Formats: sequence, C-alpha cells, structure tokens
Amino acid sequence: MACRIRFCGIIFATILLCVLPAAVFAQYGGPRMDHENTLPPTPVGPTPMTADGHPDLTGLWNGLADNLLGVPNQMHNVGIEVGPDSTRDIHSGAQIATWPLQNREKQNNEQNERAATLLRRMGSNRPIYKPQYWQRVKDFDANSNEEDPSNNCMPAGVPRMGVPSYIAQTPTYLIFVYPGQGGLIATATSYRMIPTDGRKHTDIEDLDGTWNGESIGHWEGDTMVIDSIGFNSTSWFDQLGGYFHSENMHVIERLHRDGNTLTWTATVEDPDVLLEPWTTTPRVALLNPDPKAILPESLPCSERDFAHVVTKEHH
Amino acid sequence: MTMRITRTKALAKCAFAIAAFFALVLQPAGGQNNNAKSSPAAKVPSNGAVDDVTKSSASDVARTLRTAAEALGLARWSGVGGQRLPEVDVINTMEMWGSGTTYAPGPSDKPGEPRLAFKTEYHAAIGYNPPAMRVELTRTVSGAPQHTIEVVRDNFAWDESEIGAGLIPGKGVATPTMAAVSIRQLQLWTLPYGVIKAAVAAGDKAKLSTEKGATVISFPLSGQLADVIVRATLDPQNEIAKVETRAENPALADLNTETEYSDYADHGEIATDVKSPGHIVRKQGGHLLLDIKVKMLDANNPYLVFPVPQNVKMAAAH
Repeated sequence: MACRIRFCGIIFATILLCVLPAAVFAQYGGPRMDHENTLPPTPVGPTPMTADGHPDLTGLWNGLADNLLGVPNQMHNVGIEVGPDSTRDIHSGAQIATWPLQNREKQNNEQNERAATLLRRMGSNRPIYKPQYWQRVKDFDANSNEEDPSNNCMPAGVPRMGVPSYIAQTPTYLIFVYPGQGGLIATATSYRMIPTDGRKHTDIEDLDGTWNGESIGHWEGDTMVIDSIGFNSTSWFDQLGGYFHSENMHVIERLHRDGNTLTWTATVEDPDVLLEPWTTTPRVALLNPDPKAILPESLPCSERDFAHVVTKEHH
Repeated sequence: MTMRITRTKALAKCAFAIAAFFALVLQPAGGQNNNAKSSPAAKVPSNGAVDDVTKSSASDVARTLRTAAEALGLARWSGVGGQRLPEVDVINTMEMWGSGTTYAPGPSDKPGEPRLAFKTEYHAAIGYNPPAMRVELTRTVSGAPQHTIEVVRDNFAWDESEIGAGLIPGKGVATPTMAAVSIRQLQLWTLPYGVIKAAVAAGDKAKLSTEKGATVISFPLSGQLADVIVRATLDPQNEIAKVETRAENPALADLNTETEYSDYADHGEIATDVKSPGHIVRKQGGHLLLDIKVKMLDANNPYLVFPVPQNVKMAAAH
C-alpha cells in the first residue's frame, strides 16, 4: 500500500509538472537533438544578414523541439556532454564514467523518473551563493513541488525562460515569443519587446519589479547582447535548483546565430545573494526548417494536483 | 521455390532466436560470478588474507565495476523521452547525516593506551565534481558539545569556524590546514561512490581478484594520493563492503585505513534509488576512528558548494 501511495505520488508529481500539454512540442516538427548523445547540433548553412549588416535572428527556434522536455537536452543544458565514446562535464572538464547501454531492462515509471531527476541535476555549473543562503537554496530545491513558482503557473521570467521559441527582428526592436510549455517547468505564454538601440535603462528606482524586467539590446559584433534589470524577487533564475534572486538581479543575455543554430547564454549578477556572477551553460537552439511551422496556441496553465502529492520527489 | 526459401529463412530466424535466448539465459548475471567463471583461479602462496587470485582482463574489471555501480544506483539511465543514452555515473553531490562514536588518541598518545571515545553527530557534504568534502562533527566532550568543520576541495584543505567561513569578510574564520589534504581526500575516495569513480579512472591499473570467495578490486589512486593502493571488497550483492588503503611510502602511514560498510539501503527522505551504507566503521593505522549509523542521505545532487576562501588559496601558494 505504501508502495502504491509512493507510486501515486510520482504520477501526480509528474502530472503537476506537466500541467501544460507536453504534446505541444510534437506539433513543431523539425529535427531534434540525437537522443543517443547530448552534443549540440552542428551549424549548417550561411548566417543570413539584415540590410543594416547584422545577423538576422528572425525565425522559429524550436527545431530541437524538446529543449525543456527531454532528458538529453536537459543534460546538455547543464553542461553534461554525452558523446559517442565518453561523457564529460564541459564546465569542469571532468570525465564521467559511462557504460554502453546493453541488456536494457524495462524500468518502471518510478525508476525512470528518479534516474531522470539525477541525470538532469548532475552538472557542476552551480551559482555560488553567499553562505547564509546555501541552506535556503537547498530547502527551495528539496521542496520545489511547493516552492517552485512555475508549479503555480507563474511566469518563468528572465533568464529562466531560456531561448525564445520565436524571434522577430526589426531594425529597432526584437520581439521574443515563449509559448507556454510543460515538462521540466510549467510556464504560461510570454513575450518580450526589446529595443536594440542600446539606450540607457530607466532608473532602477522608477521600475516596478517584473518577471522579465526591463531589457535593452545592443550588438557587440555579430552577437546580440541584452541587458535586463528591474525584476521582482519571485522567480527562479535557472530551470532547476531553487536558485532564487533579489530585486537587484542584473541579467546579460547573449545570442549568436551561426547558420541554422542560435546559441544563448545568460549571466546573472546579484551581489545581494551571490558571491560572484554566474553564467548558464550555452544552449543551442536549432532553426525550424519547416517554412509553414507555426507556434500553436498554448492551453491555459491550471494547477489542480498539489492536494494529491504525497512525496517530495520532484524534477 | 519461393516458399522453401521463406521457410528456410523462418527456421534460421527461429534457430537464431533460440540460440540468442539461451545465450542470454546462461550468461552469468553479476560481474562477480562472471569473473569467477571466466578465468581459471590460480592458488598462490599468501599471508592468509589471500587464498585465491583470479587473473582478470580489462573487460572483467569493467563488467565488475559496472555491476557494482548499478548495485549502488550510481550507473543510471532513464527511459523518459525514449532516448537511448548510455548509462552514466549520476553522482555528483550528496549529503549524509549520521550519529555514533568517534575515537581519538589518549592524552599521552602512547601505543597501547586506550582510545578516547566520544558520542558524535556526523554530517558530511560530499562533492565529486569538483572533488570536495565538508565534514561537520559535533562531539560530546565532558558533557559539552564540541563542533568542528573540516573541508577539502581539490588540493586545498581548511577548517571553518562556521559553514562557509572566510568567504565574506567578518563572517567566520577559515584556517588553512594544507597538511590534511591527503587524509581528507582519502575519506572522499574511500566512500563507496568514490571507490567506483576512482577505480574507473584508474583504467588498466584496476585489477580483480577473488579472496575468500569475495571479489576484490585493487587500484592506485592518483594525484596527491598516487602512493595509495585501494583494495575494495564486494559483498554478495555487489555492494562495497570493505575498503582498505595502503600507502607505499612509510612516511604516509596515516593513509593506511580500513573502512567497513554494511546495511545498504536508499536512506533518502526523497527516494533516489541510490543506496548508501547504513553503518560505517573506519579504522586508521589499526585504531578505531569512527563508528556511525547513517540516518539519512540526500543523494539527489543537492546544492552543495565548496568555494575556497582567499586566505586558504594564499596559504597554499606559499
């Protein structure tokens, strides 16, 4: 009976963290990261340029489709590179023991989920908080079923929302669209309108803290650099880990297009809670090659499962 | 004609399937048994500790390490999403809580003098990438608690007056203890998880033997512990039951340790299917050092960090 209760907990936790339909990604089509490794895709083709001489970031950047949903992509996102012959952590360079998959026995859902939780959390690239906050991060993480704002259908916010699924580029603005998604975190549809003239930020005192903050972009060579301030302190800044921040968080995103790939990183500065700035693992999105591909409507995020969760097991 | 060819093909397929089935069924399940059966055992004269040595190939070693890694819940794969990734070592960070007894030399520290025993609360934060460990002991000495925090990361060692001491000016004191690097690193690499990782890293230098019917994996450590040979004995469940370390350099006698692990289970409040020993007994130089019962293990790669304080880096540089 205890086992059944625990199993139910896993089921409900999984449902809870997938309150939006995972089937969304299946509608995108296009190639995906090879599921026998976690290597980023190799760029193909030329990088289109705009009339004003900048790389054209316009496009549907969901070619990997499951950048939040699949364990291989989640491992890639934390810097674990599983190649054909070896596995390594790209941040520390550490080699990680790997055994070829053989005599694969079927695991039940519980075993699969527990293994997935470990796999997507094994990276070494962790923000260094001030010591007085170490326990708080651990507590948030261990109790993320209740504490993670995304589990209550709150926006992911910058930079947790990661790579935009759609970018429209004009000479003066970038428009980013993030469809609602399930999987690792559940988020509502979100958008950003980012001026790219490098103007000064509004005085921080005059900004109401928001999920996405005030974002201003400029070009550094062929890289779009987006500087954001003016956040609330409610969101977490990475997909896993309970990484909270203060209202003084400052985020610098970098987007670089190479052929049909878009590499995104974000650096988080928050001297209120962090000992030093922290930079995400570079995430590589693949251009959707289907000229007819569109972003489908996301269903509303609605949390109805907390009451059924009976363990702390989580993503 | 076409029918005959089809029937022949069908029979061939059937025969192949039957052969494959028996090949799978008859294949020994564990690395321990594999090794015992795959090579003839050679009796060698010994001091009594070794009664049976089996020559092992690299594949035997790899198979045994894989079996031990799977028994521990360290080698894992997930079918979520339907991918076909290999099994990988999923353990990076973990946190262990226990209670029991620690021992220390008597006041004169003379041979034969009874060791002092202290009731102890044990808390260890463990990391393998980068290699690091923070051991917090709260001993009851003459009825009063005595609290120590000992840290090692890579080739730095220091004591903390409080968790994270020395990272922010005015927040605690970090005292460099560089002489303790080796013995603290040894604690990390002699935990069951460390043994598997270090044995895999040792590559061709890792050897198998069968002693008193049990599988033993022997390998040298590396880096600052390159003089140390580890011998890890597996129990019938392929869990690491005993880890002995011997330093080849007599000046490093402190690194001669013996640790026994038993009562393996998933001790996590949040289940991970990662097993940990429930009972740890460690000896150093033949003397009891620690005897604890594990109360809880968080193996879910929790947020544990080990930044090196600036004054410790400076002390190491001089």
